[in-house]
Amino acid sequence: MLTLAKLAFRNVFRFKRRTFITLSAVSIGLALLIISISLLNGIDKQSISNIINCQTSHIKIFKKGYFDKKDELPLNIRIEDPTPVHEKLAGLKGIRASENRILFGAGLIKDMDELPCLGVAIDVEKDPEIFNIKESLVQGQWLDPKKSQMLVGKDLAKDIGLTVGDRVTVRMVTSSEDEDFSWNALDLEISGIFDSGNPGVDSQRLFIPMAIAREGLSMEKAVTEIVVRLESGDEKFVDRMKKEIGQILVSEGEDLEAFSWKDLAGTFLLISKMKSKNSAMIIMIMLFIASMGIINTMLMAVMERTREIGMLAAMGMKKKEITRLFVLEGSFIGAIGAFLGCFLGGMAGWYLETKGWSIKAMGESLQDLTSAFYPVKEVFYADITFELLLMTFLFGIAIAVLAALYPARKAAKMNPIRALRHI
Amino acid sequence: MSLVKLKNISKIYRNNGLNFPALDGISLDVQKGEFLSIAGPSGSGKTTILNIVGCLDTPSGGTFHLDNNDVGSKNSSQLADIRRHYIGFIFQTFNLIPILSAIENVEFPLILKGGISPRERRKVAAEILAEVGLGDFLHRKPSEMSGGQQQRVAIARALVKKPQLILADEPTANLDSKTGREILDLMTAMNKKTNTTFIFSTHDKMVMEYARRIIMLRDGKIESDEKRG
Repeated sequence: MLTLAKLAFRNVFRFKRRTFITLSAVSIGLALLIISISLLNGIDKQSISNIINCQTSHIKIFKKGYFDKKDELPLNIRIEDPTPVHEKLAGLKGIRASENRILFGAGLIKDMDELPCLGVAIDVEKDPEIFNIKESLVQGQWLDPKKSQMLVGKDLAKDIGLTVGDRVTVRMVTSSEDEDFSWNALDLEISGIFDSGNPGVDSQRLFIPMAIAREGLSMEKAVTEIVVRLESGDEKFVDRMKKEIGQILVSEGEDLEAFSWKDLAGTFLLISKMKSKNSAMIIMIMLFIASMGIINTMLMAVMERTREIGMLAAMGMKKKEITRLFVLEGSFIGAIGAFLGCFLGGMAGWYLETKGWSIKAMGESLQDLTSAFYPVKEVFYADITFELLLMTFLFGIAIAVLAALYPARKAAKMNPIRALRHI
Repeated sequence: MSLVKLKNISKIYRNNGLNFPALDGISLDVQKGEFLSIAGPSGSGKTTILNIVGCLDTPSGGTFHLDNNDVGSKNSSQLADIRRHYIGFIFQTFNLIPILSAIENVEFPLILKGGISPRERRKVAAEILAEVGLGDFLHRKPSEMSGGQQQRVAIARALVKKPQLILADEPTANLDSKTGREILDLMTAMNKKTNTTFIFSTHDKMVMEYARRIIMLRDGKIESDEKRG
């Protein structure tokens, strides 16, 4: 059965090669759009998960004043007795686990070299409930709480040539009541090597059992931070829990403050925000290319079919109907292009989501560069969602309709007599 | 009662500030069922008259009534309505829609006219194609048909909505004389059978022979108005 829509649809395939080229432009543009957005989203997601799982957990509690100086790793701004805090946290709903940690500046001495590192004293039993270091062990074993052991990251081990079972000296600044400090050194055996995927953690951090570290640091009960893992990482939930925990800390008169991972990952979020501005640019450019393709094709079609348009008008087709015919034609191109684009982009995105995009082959300098911006290394994974595909599809059609409007109006405005005389 | 009534029609084209009079005081009555040829050398105003009668163009002066409707007062959308319901067109270059089959081309005016079920539409189109001798070519595309066959499809397309008036601008100019005669025979037959008014323009003596009334134009004026047999 013949309808205007059918006529428009057939017109799409009137000049197969041209339609093919236009469809390619539209679909490749949209596919690239999907790939880049899904990769950027994926990197964001991966980064956030790497930050939460290896560095910050959901919420950290510090002594007031620590946050501003946290990069200096001060040991004197500390939580003297963490036990009551844990007790109070246990009374809150939505908390999975909490753990004491001490972060301290450490020097890893091997042969004649000393490598500055970030020492992390952890609660060996609780830590696996909060962080993924234990899961990401690639060699050796998890720490024994009472043994003089430590874990190092794969990148660090590779850099200075360490293997499981090696004994190394870790030099650290001990805490002291008065401001003057002294040095201490521990002899530790490497019990395991981990590969968390977070470049900062894998190349810098040393994990040491709490009891052993306390000895070296001369800290009895005190810790520098309490990390809290929540039942869910949902943003609103984290914000709400940060508030609730903050209130408890205040009501108990503790001189403590709670921070969410977002407060702690400020630099990363700043970069991420800049990036979304850039991706908005990418989107605009892709859509511009796609719409130019459609406008061009439709203008060619209108020009070539001038006499036919004159004939349609002579037969009594109104301006509105002629406009509709050409807009329909453009939107069919848009719909087919958008469908193909979503299919291609979806497939590529799905591949990048499951297999990932390895930047290893691109050389170490690029890897170093990306690690400077993202807490992600080696392999980037895309995050492809149905929502992204649907939005791209609808956007593609909308752009096509808008792009077809101008050529369609041009067709509708034609004087039928002149159009019929057109050769 | 006249179907087409032109009274003192003039048409002046303006180009670069100069006036070119194409029609100069044309008055003409065409009755229902006439088979009329407008003849004359090129530039005499044949096509301009057809365009005005076909509601594709508006006169610069004078009045035009189609079936007692004053066409001069209509806007472009109303004119399109008149064309879609009252007038069928046959063009010198056939002007079929190349991506549609013969039967789809014939169905097209009925889609525009509306008020007919798809099944009925198809049936009517098939019938009229059979009448013009193309019963076996329903699903051929224009590119798969000869010029004569294409013009037959165009005649079927003009007739299918049962218009009051069919306008044909040099309908045989692109055909050899044998095929041209066949087309004119077909138009004559359809005129007799359906009593539809045909007005066609030509400068070909052979074509004029078929007309029952010949209007000769010269320089935008009617030179002679001859009724025959």
